Amino acid sequence: MSSFPAGTAAAEGLASCHVCLKVAPESLGRCPRCRARLHLREPNSIQRTMALLATASLLYIPANVLPIMTTEQLGRATGSTIIGGVVILIHHGDYPIAAVIFIASVLVPLSKLFVLGWLCWSVSRRQPSSHHERTRLYRAAELVGKWSMTDVFVVAILVALIQFAGILRFTPGTAALAFGGVVIVTMLAAHAFDPRLIWDQLGDSDD
Amino acid sequence: MNAPSAERIACIECDLLVQVGELHGGQRAACPRCGNTLTAPAPDGLTRTLAFALGACVLLLAANAFPFLALEAKGLEQVMTLPRTAVELYRDGYATLAVLVLGPIIGIPALMLATMLALLVPIRRRVRAPWLVPAGRLLFLLSPWSMVEVFVIGVLVSLVKIGAMASVVLGISFWAYVGFAVCFTASLSSLDRFEIWREIEACTA
Repeated sequence: MSSFPAGTAAAEGLASCHVCLKVAPESLGRCPRCRARLHLREPNSIQRTMALLATASLLYIPANVLPIMTTEQLGRATGSTIIGGVVILIHHGDYPIAAVIFIASVLVPLSKLFVLGWLCWSVSRRQPSSHHERTRLYRAAELVGKWSMTDVFVVAILVALIQFAGILRFTPGTAALAFGGVVIVTMLAAHAFDPRLIWDQLGDSDD
Repeated sequence: MNAPSAERIACIECDLLVQVGELHGGQRAACPRCGNTLTAPAPDGLTRTLAFALGACVLLLAANAFPFLALEAKGLEQVMTLPRTAVELYRDGYATLAVLVLGPIIGIPALMLATMLALLVPIRRRVRAPWLVPAGRLLFLLSPWSMVEVFVIGVLVSLVKIGAMASVVLGISFWAYVGFAVCFTASLSSLDRFEIWREIEACTA
């Protein structure tokens, strides 16, 4: 980590401001344009990303085990989990909607956890894999993150819209909060990861 | 001392230092190493951003003022508006969920629109406003947390789910929100981060 590849801003002691993109000497401490703190790289990027990934993985358990929504029909309450909701949709033959929920609530968060975890591991081990490919993976992980909120929004709409006292009522479950937490924490994790670390190993291997 | 073309940009994804020349009408500067877009100022970017932002403001107000969805089942009718959704979730004891949902779909976008107006109006008039730098920081701090387009998909999924139980009528506010989502996204996409900070610097220097 002591030397940066030639041609980079860091090799010249220049930091690119993470707020306003101004290139300024890191020795200034603060960006001359917007007063944000200057760093050559995000401080403790890998460590913070890993900590946030661990938090998200823990939150992912209650998000899937507990009911995301409870349906009260004529006094009978039944809870349904995220996966349970997908199964019900498949039984009803709503395949496209089932696919949307499955992708947004299961596939996206899980692949995001794996991709960011693998990126952290490969960067800290200085693993020789393609820089381009890893950068593309990182971009994808950052881009899809917020789409996982779909199911939480669906729960909120159903709860707000369907309130027929005594006949049919929806109440949000604890999993809705836990899942919202998963989405926020994985977004923070993607933000904490510094993709420039991938390229700092450029001297290590041929790309 | 007017030499903006001499400015160097460090790629935010791979840190390569790149000398970017003057860009003309919709040209995009990409990092030669990792392909990331460095800057892509739209032609008339500021005007376009401002126009879409103003449109988004009006549509967001409309989206909050009228019924969003209405439901009919066995002679019972229920109308939902966006502000009432927040109030009802809060009253039923789901305050955190209310913030988690209404924040990214209304609160944060509204704050971003206010920030954009506070930035763009003084910049266009070349007025030196003391809030330009904090407003610029706030705008880029908030932008990852706006989820307007995700909410539109959420509404569509809910419609299919409810469709099996009752007939749903789309209200004026639903269409206003769809229009708002389009304007808001268009406004953000014609806003170039590198460009806007250069303008802020030109106004405060």
